[in-house]
Amino acid sequence: MPLLDIRNLSVEFSTRAGKFRAVDGIDLTVDEGEVLGIVGESGSGKSVTSLAVMGLIANNGRVVADKMEFDGRDLRTLTERQRRNLTGKDVAMVFQEPMTSLNPCFTIGFQIMESLKVHEKLGRSDRRRRAIELLEKVGIPAPESRLSSFPHQLSGGMNQRVMIAMAISCNPRLLIADEPTTALDVTIQKQILDLLLDLQKERGMALILITHDMGVVAETARRVSVMYAGQVVETRSARDLFTHPQHPYTGALLDALPERALGKRRLPTIPGVVPGISDRPNGCLFNPRCRFAQDKCRREGVPLFPDESGAARCFYPLQVTGGVAA
Amino acid sequence: MFRFFLTRFSLIIPTFIGVTLLTFALIRLVPGDPVELMAGERGISPERHAELRAAMGLDKPLLVQYGDYILNVVQGDLGNSVVTRTPVLDEFMTLFPATIELSVCAILFAMIVGLPLGILAAVKRGSIFDHSLMGISLTGYSMPIFWWALLLILLFSVNLGWTPVSGRISVMYWVEPVTNFMLIDALLSDEEGAFSSALSHLILPAIVLGTVPLAVIARMTRSSMLEVLGEDYIRTARAKGLAPLRVVAQHALRNALIPVVTVIGLQVGVLFAGAILTETIFAWPGIGKWLIESVARRDYPVLQGGVLLVAAVIMIVNLLVDLTYGVLNPRIRHGGH
Repeated sequence: MPLLDIRNLSVEFSTRAGKFRAVDGIDLTVDEGEVLGIVGESGSGKSVTSLAVMGLIANNGRVVADKMEFDGRDLRTLTERQRRNLTGKDVAMVFQEPMTSLNPCFTIGFQIMESLKVHEKLGRSDRRRRAIELLEKVGIPAPESRLSSFPHQLSGGMNQRVMIAMAISCNPRLLIADEPTTALDVTIQKQILDLLLDLQKERGMALILITHDMGVVAETARRVSVMYAGQVVETRSARDLFTHPQHPYTGALLDALPERALGKRRLPTIPGVVPGISDRPNGCLFNPRCRFAQDKCRREGVPLFPDESGAARCFYPLQVTGGVAA
Repeated sequence: MFRFFLTRFSLIIPTFIGVTLLTFALIRLVPGDPVELMAGERGISPERHAELRAAMGLDKPLLVQYGDYILNVVQGDLGNSVVTRTPVLDEFMTLFPATIELSVCAILFAMIVGLPLGILAAVKRGSIFDHSLMGISLTGYSMPIFWWALLLILLFSVNLGWTPVSGRISVMYWVEPVTNFMLIDALLSDEEGAFSSALSHLILPAIVLGTVPLAVIARMTRSSMLEVLGEDYIRTARAKGLAPLRVVAQHALRNALIPVVTVIGLQVGVLFAGAILTETIFAWPGIGKWLIESVARRDYPVLQGGVLLVAAVIMIVNLLVDLTYGVLNPRIRHGGH
């Protein structure tokens, strides 16, 4: 039984301009101890998906799913209190912006110990001891004196380490990292990623790594789902995805990797942007930006076609049409 | 911190000059002088009039009068009341506690009611409660204070007979002035019922005076809270699985209070301005009533000295408010680290 099992999840927001479907019928499964990568551009619904799993969708959003289970418990039927007991304890999350994701008015010690107080019901001295251990674990020097620091006194990388310490404080079984390195310097990115993976291995927790960076996924994830405009367009093992991408969007993302464009004068890009609230095309959502789009792609919605190693949402997958991204 | 104080203090001097110059000039623009008013309808001979004016130094050129006044003020002498002959500072010190008592109760009332209402409106944004609260607070903000006072007196004092109309305490009680704060003095005295009498005298004036600050605080709290509730760290707090009450009352409120404290500090000026009307309506023996009477009597030293002292109090309070930022906001406390 997978740890997280989601079928046909949709998240709809009611806005002034009408209903907007940010996530459109996606399936997601994560096994215990597995690393799943979710890749996609800005606006592809990655973050909304993770917020839906956490139960953090704002009031103007509606979450529907055919199945939404964590460790066999149906998330849709939990009361708010039961749900809160799960979030922050068994399912935890690290966000993109470490500088704004920590409360500027409280010390980092307070913010770490708060979870321990709420979920683990630890006493004051135990909380303090655990917080120091956690800061040590995430590689913060002089952890004891750092407890009384405020977020503005630490660098972005250090703050992200604090966020990670907070997230793993109650030994979660699933950690969702939403672009955890995007806001950081390149030199720090690698350190934070390594830290996340070390913790994942050491604790055997499942990790959903959300990113727009194919390179990050290549190094970390065992399985990858590629999202586009609220849909999963391709999902398969990381190795197969990198060697035999089926969806033209995946292919284009891979082409845009600098290390794959060696010898070319210009880095290939994908023209246009992810369609927004008012300009969703008919048929395949990727068709206006797709080099291989046919009439059928502009007319008919595309289901996810399963194949030997995964699934792709395309009538004319790359390997079959010969339009290999090379 | 030292720089901060230095800039703040350098602002005091122009403010001081502005306040003295304005009050000095404005009161002299009003027709009539203290001598005429003391003489009343009986009139006074022009010779005697001139003699008395000269005795008060009112015959000198205005610039010289102003210079003399400033020289005295700098030496700590605000002059004596033309009417009572007592030093202005002494009168101020006797009456000031009454105004403080009223203002503190008014701002406490405004905060105790305004903060929770503002928070609730932000949390229930767009609801009927939110809309009606914002409508009511706009009304409260725009309402003339004397009219509001008269309405409340009509309802609670005249029709219902719940509260007294004027004064600080019923004439049945005599309370030894220890602190000059009636609530405290009444509590200290042995007289039974004195405290509740003092309290019932205070309620209506405090509500009247607190209405404008209440409206301002409620609106400010709401907008500040709305902004904070959209911040990333609130999402983090919710992602920790904290109860909504804890997220709002602890993580959001602490941040939302920072601008609200500024606004509360700015209300001190509003309070003193309001106190002038409120004290006059409720016959509350404080600074406001004293200043109004000084205008009516053309008591130049009282008006000049009184306004100057009030201005000083407002500046001090605003300085204190700026200092409390540091308590609320660690980024200021540790600034520059």
